[in-house]
Amino acid sequence: MKTLLKIFLAASLAVSAGAKEIKLLNVSYDPTRELYSEYNAAFAKYWQANNPNGDTITISQSHGGSGKQAQAVVNGLEADVVTLALAYDIDAISQQAKLLPADWQKRLPNNSTPYTSTIVFLVRKGNPKGIKDWDDVVKKGVTVVVANPKTSGGARWAYLAAYAYALEKNNHDDAAARDFITKLYKNVPVLDSGARGATVTFAQRDIGDVLLAWENEAHLAVQEFGTDRYEIVTPPLSILAEPSVSVVDKDAKRHGTTEVAKAYLKYLYSDEGQEIAARNFYRPRNEAIAQKYADNFTQLKLVTVDEEFGGWARAQKTHFADGGIFDQIFQP
Amino acid sequence: MKKSQTENRKQNMKAKLKQLIVATVVGSQFALPVLADDNASTNAAQLQIPAYAADGSSGSSAEAAEIKALKQQVEALVQKVNALEQQRRPAEQAATIQDLDQKVRILARERENDQDAVVALAKTQPKISLGANGFSFGSADSNFVAQLHGVLQFDSRSFFQDGGANGNDGFLLRRARPIFSGTVFHDFDFNFTPDFGGSTVQIVDAYLNYRFNPELQLEAGKFKSPIGLEHLVADRDLLFNERSLATDLVPNRDLGLALHGDLFGGVASYALGLFNGAPDYNGTTTNQSFQDDKAFAGRWFFQPWKNSDLGGLRGLGFGIGGSYQANHPATNTVTGLTPGYTTDGQQKFFTYASGVNASGAAWRVSPQAYYYYGPFGLLGEYVISDQQVRKAANSVDLANTAWEISGSWVLTGEDASYNGVTPLHPFSPHNNQWGAWQLVARYAALDVDGKAFTADGGNYFANSAASASGANAWSLGVNWYLNKNLRADLSFAHTEFDGYKGSAAGVGKQPENVLFSRLQLAF
Repeated sequence: MKTLLKIFLAASLAVSAGAKEIKLLNVSYDPTRELYSEYNAAFAKYWQANNPNGDTITISQSHGGSGKQAQAVVNGLEADVVTLALAYDIDAISQQAKLLPADWQKRLPNNSTPYTSTIVFLVRKGNPKGIKDWDDVVKKGVTVVVANPKTSGGARWAYLAAYAYALEKNNHDDAAARDFITKLYKNVPVLDSGARGATVTFAQRDIGDVLLAWENEAHLAVQEFGTDRYEIVTPPLSILAEPSVSVVDKDAKRHGTTEVAKAYLKYLYSDEGQEIAARNFYRPRNEAIAQKYADNFTQLKLVTVDEEFGGWARAQKTHFADGGIFDQIFQP
Repeated sequence: MKKSQTENRKQNMKAKLKQLIVATVVGSQFALPVLADDNASTNAAQLQIPAYAADGSSGSSAEAAEIKALKQQVEALVQKVNALEQQRRPAEQAATIQDLDQKVRILARERENDQDAVVALAKTQPKISLGANGFSFGSADSNFVAQLHGVLQFDSRSFFQDGGANGNDGFLLRRARPIFSGTVFHDFDFNFTPDFGGSTVQIVDAYLNYRFNPELQLEAGKFKSPIGLEHLVADRDLLFNERSLATDLVPNRDLGLALHGDLFGGVASYALGLFNGAPDYNGTTTNQSFQDDKAFAGRWFFQPWKNSDLGGLRGLGFGIGGSYQANHPATNTVTGLTPGYTTDGQQKFFTYASGVNASGAAWRVSPQAYYYYGPFGLLGEYVISDQQVRKAANSVDLANTAWEISGSWVLTGEDASYNGVTPLHPFSPHNNQWGAWQLVARYAALDVDGKAFTADGGNYFANSAASASGANAWSLGVNWYLNKNLRADLSFAHTEFDGYKGSAAGVGKQPENVLFSRLQLAF
């Protein structure tokens, strides 16, 4: 009888042994759909070829405004990894939900930002409003499309890029910069919650004269809709946007996916990962690959959040927190 | 005088014409400031006007010529103004239309965004539902769910030709169970079911279940011992008011823990548990047990064609359940044995003799199967319950056996299933809908090991003057499913007994004939 029971128990447990099917959830921001669609396929192939157990991996994606996505993770969306638009959103997960350590940025090279980007202008073919620089964007009669910086990481980068320009132009006169940003948002008729939504507003709903867009998003829009409809205008000055990535330690541990989650992010720094980023118009960290794809990226002056705004925590508090400058200047 | 009037008319005409021309030209100058290319000819006309206006002494032919020339010039100017206005209007209109178009697009986009926001907000809101499946309240991500279900059964039993026995006919609240169940932290289910029916209030189920995945789950608490096929049918889905004689030989709820799960999409399912070791079926369950030896109970069940295209075999399932306990001892307070085997009418027809206790190994085996095809259903099982019993210094191993087979046919075309019948047309006489009707039949038999009556000089472990050694029962009935929640049943059961030698009017003295009815609310 005991032997029978042992066989019974062994048979019952056998179904959970052997090659595993690993499921990974990457909670990301709005415009990374195409990037991670390509990258996930490449990583799954790499993982299956390099793990001895023959485990299969299925990677699911969740996309939305970066701030909204971070809040979703805080509220219980069980992400194995987050690849968000800016470090502050991952800091929020660390601070509010304690799902990862405060020093998460130190765990991967380049402060855990495997690729960078910037903010450019997407205008209609022929650039009918003659938009070349930030001053043109705030002119009366120019309709600007950009997402809501309260919810969208890209929109926060766009806001700070414009603010940084105004500071540079006005000898760091904050009042002048505030006046400039006020004029800019007076030209914004509708705020989408995420960058992809803003692209839809501009490109598919035919609203506005200029879209303040992620560089990669602008390129994808031109690719998708054609050079006969849109043009990219790169202003002489913009901001160095640094999308950040991290394992969500506690969720990954709960799912038993810590190892694969770490490998997933590390592989973003590999040659293949960097090539995929560059092909999707993200500026790769790898110098050689950046050189290879140099034609995709116009050279311009890039300011950083640290230099211009004293870091993300300060920028967030000053500009985007409830009652911050954005709340003061934007009238829906 | 006449000449003077003529002169005056001429002067007036000239003045009016002059005013018209000036007004037209000035108006065109104000209205069309951007059309500079046309100014040359316009200015030429303007330059000629003073010449005519100042020439008040000209003769009538000259005046007529002048007037004609002026008319021509005015007409030319009018044409030019009209042409210019025609040129300008479309541009203005286009600008206006474009402006309006943008405003409409912006409003439409804002509406889209508002709708998206509403949808996104809805996803974060708790979910509340109330319907045929009970009341459910859950978090937006379904990680936390609380449900309230219930079963209420109001029965009647009417005994016929019962030898004049009193007090066995009547109405009864067979089950009155609120069922609190739910999920916490996504993977942990719970169930708490008290029963206020019958003569005592008891906790029927109280357990936690951890779902690692569908294949591997761990259940702990008080729940049904995984052995008998009929016993595992949910109370709300029973074909008859009472389970058959076969269920008399399997344990009711027990305290313990069990690994269980469904494999290959439900093609196979298993349960393997460690329990206190409940005796053969006892309607009154305990919430505690203090004995060192535990019982293993388990069950494998297969539905090989469950997911296949073979419609005729999809509803076939078979398996085997069983239990083993190395030493099933009596305790200070209980015998470790069943308080008695009961008929369909819930009358005890067999009890062990006084002083008989469980002592030694106990095991059960129950091969079982069912088959459902369309409105037809068939369920059968066989049970051996083997128990070492002791009375004073004597002991004997008793192997009691039972079996049953029950069939059902849904007259109104609904599918029969192990999980009950759902009416296609819920009862609604105004709409000529009458719910689902089902005919049911069952045959069951139980045989007590003869050694209970013959060993150690006879009538030692059981007394044939008080107990029958076997029972055979058939039942017929009709079930009316008004809707998913309400049901009305009527059935008749006839039971005959073997080996009863008592002279008193005991249960086994004459066959049992019982008419059952039931009204059931389940949600």
